[in-house]
Amino acid sequence: MSDGKLGVWMGALLLAVALPVWAQDPPPDESGVTGEEALEETPGEGGGVDLRFGVEAKAHFRQSDGNRFRVNFPFTPAMLPPGGAAFEETVDEGSHFEVSVLTLFVDAVWSEGLAAHAKIDAIDLYDRNPTSGDKKLDVDEAWIRFGRESDPGLLPARGGAYLKVGKFPKFERQDDRHLESYGLLSTAFNRFEDTGVELGLNLGRHLYLKGSATQGNPLFIRDPNALAGDNGTDDFLGANPSPELKSGIVILYDAEVEDLDTDGDPEIGAGLGLRFGDDAGRNAVDLLVWGYRRTLADTVDLEGTFYGGDLDLLRGPGENDPRFRFPGLSGDDKQEVGANLWVYLGGLTFFGQFVDQEIASLPRTGWEGELAWRFELPLVWAVAGRQLFPSIAPAVRYSRIDNDFRNPQFTPSPSLNWDWEKLDAGVRFAVIEGIDVTVEYAANRFILGSGAEAENDELLSTLRWRM
Amino acid sequence: MAHVKRFLPGALLVLGALISHGASSEELRGKVELLARGGKGPARGADVRRAVVSFEPVSRQPVRPPAEPFVLATRQKQFVPRVLAVPRGSRVRFPNEDPILHNVFSVSPDNVFDLGLYRKSKGRERTFDKPGLVRVFCNVHQGMVGYLLVLDTPFFTAPAADGSFVLTGLPGGHGKLTVWHEQGEAWTQDVRLPAGPVTARLEVSRAGAPPHLDKRGNPYTSRDSYRDQ
Repeated sequence: MSDGKLGVWMGALLLAVALPVWAQDPPPDESGVTGEEALEETPGEGGGVDLRFGVEAKAHFRQSDGNRFRVNFPFTPAMLPPGGAAFEETVDEGSHFEVSVLTLFVDAVWSEGLAAHAKIDAIDLYDRNPTSGDKKLDVDEAWIRFGRESDPGLLPARGGAYLKVGKFPKFERQDDRHLESYGLLSTAFNRFEDTGVELGLNLGRHLYLKGSATQGNPLFIRDPNALAGDNGTDDFLGANPSPELKSGIVILYDAEVEDLDTDGDPEIGAGLGLRFGDDAGRNAVDLLVWGYRRTLADTVDLEGTFYGGDLDLLRGPGENDPRFRFPGLSGDDKQEVGANLWVYLGGLTFFGQFVDQEIASLPRTGWEGELAWRFELPLVWAVAGRQLFPSIAPAVRYSRIDNDFRNPQFTPSPSLNWDWEKLDAGVRFAVIEGIDVTVEYAANRFILGSGAEAENDELLSTLRWRM
Repeated sequence: MAHVKRFLPGALLVLGALISHGASSEELRGKVELLARGGKGPARGADVRRAVVSFEPVSRQPVRPPAEPFVLATRQKQFVPRVLAVPRGSRVRFPNEDPILHNVFSVSPDNVFDLGLYRKSKGRERTFDKPGLVRVFCNVHQGMVGYLLVLDTPFFTAPAADGSFVLTGLPGGHGKLTVWHEQGEAWTQDVRLPAGPVTARLEVSRAGAPPHLDKRGNPYTSRDSYRDQ
């Protein structure tokens, strides 16, 4: 590790030690929206640690349209599947029942200013990349936080700061999605957690700053529907490969961080936010502008695929063979600037995001908006002291990505520069406390290199159980 | 009929106070008008029957709570009645009439309590010794809001649907007339009895119950239930 990089990580460590002193100043005499104080002390305030465990399981019925698009890449005959032609194809088309994830949550709270969280996924079918070859057990989150952090739209009681260290979601990620699927932006830019440190500063109750120094999610490819697809799996090492799950129709995205790596340059992120609302968070507006910058690695090894991430992916096979590399590719700088808007009006929720990105001089922009309305249902039935069907939440999300770069002359993934829009619409039924069902339909529309429009739709039903 | 039931114990109290003090005989009539924001015309959608009209004589009157408790029930994920006025020292029972678990708590100053989580039952009781507004919530269901007015006077009532009210058995002389409604600021006026009809005009400044926090002082978790972590 170079001295400069060591300095960044040491600085983060120093902050981790110093911030708790600042973050735990005694609160001013400021009451909440009701003018009343809390009845009980916050967990952990009595001394010791408040330890909580939770589990979650998701089962699905998925119906994926079957579509495929011819690929012009000059594979050798041995590299081509039976039939002698290569395609980008829907991942695992048809109707399927599947259990996608079993999750264990652990929360430890020592005080309002000191907490830790872990999320461990087993199976992890929809977050695997490649779908069939990636890890089936994954530590999605593992972090410790010093100081108080506010959720989007929630006013902190006072100014302050926090520092989070470990593996955690990116601060601009929508954290209360109302559909099981992801939009194009939430797939491309911030679906997966990153590893490092995050600093938050509340400058009073309304203005806030975010900053992060993280490892950076490797650039890779996946299908934006439920399953990522199989690319570069062991199947492709044999003659005439025919992977059962297929490649998917892929976009560029920030993939999962595989292992802790402090050798590379950190990705630096910053955000400036402004929020207004009531103390209960029922009605709130939160606007965040943010940006990230990092240096792309020559290659990144990913579990289950021999394709390399980052520049390796963009340069294609061969040593800078101009036929296979993206023509506009230049440098190794990757940066995004974006803006988020959260609006909460009682049960009505809107989340919007805009992103402008450059990947080694390959530009693209995108935006996404989700509107959801969660409302209580009247009490009709009950089981074991709990209401059956307590709420329902219809939601609709539109997202699009416009790619302003050209594909290589020959590419196994021509969809990477297709302009794309995705409309997701669905409804989430709460069955009983801890169990809900989400039924949704994803309509993908994209413009092929020929100018023709095509689609690749998917119906997804999710039964989620949580306790 | 529900309003009659709601204020029957209070009326009996007034009657009791009359009997015990003998000298009370004044009557005060009046009308409560709820006005739209800015005082521009009547407020639409605001229920005047949810107001509480009370008279507090300068010459303090003894407040004797009834032997039977008042009742503030949880029914169909609501507190019923939504507004309950009781004299200081009254017992209030909180039956759960729903087949689901409810909690009843308040963090209002001087009247902090938490009856815990309980199933359908006759519920639990609490005595309210300190006068003031007690905002009552359920820690499970954010939408449940009830108001308990603990009054330091035996003289109170609720207006009829047209806003009219009558307070009877009042002692003569000075006193303070107060009209409270959950959607506006309380209206008060000094009154010397006997007096003619009084009109109380309250500006409706809130659409409904303001958002509130749970019993730990945290936002309710309806957003958390959909959290992606």
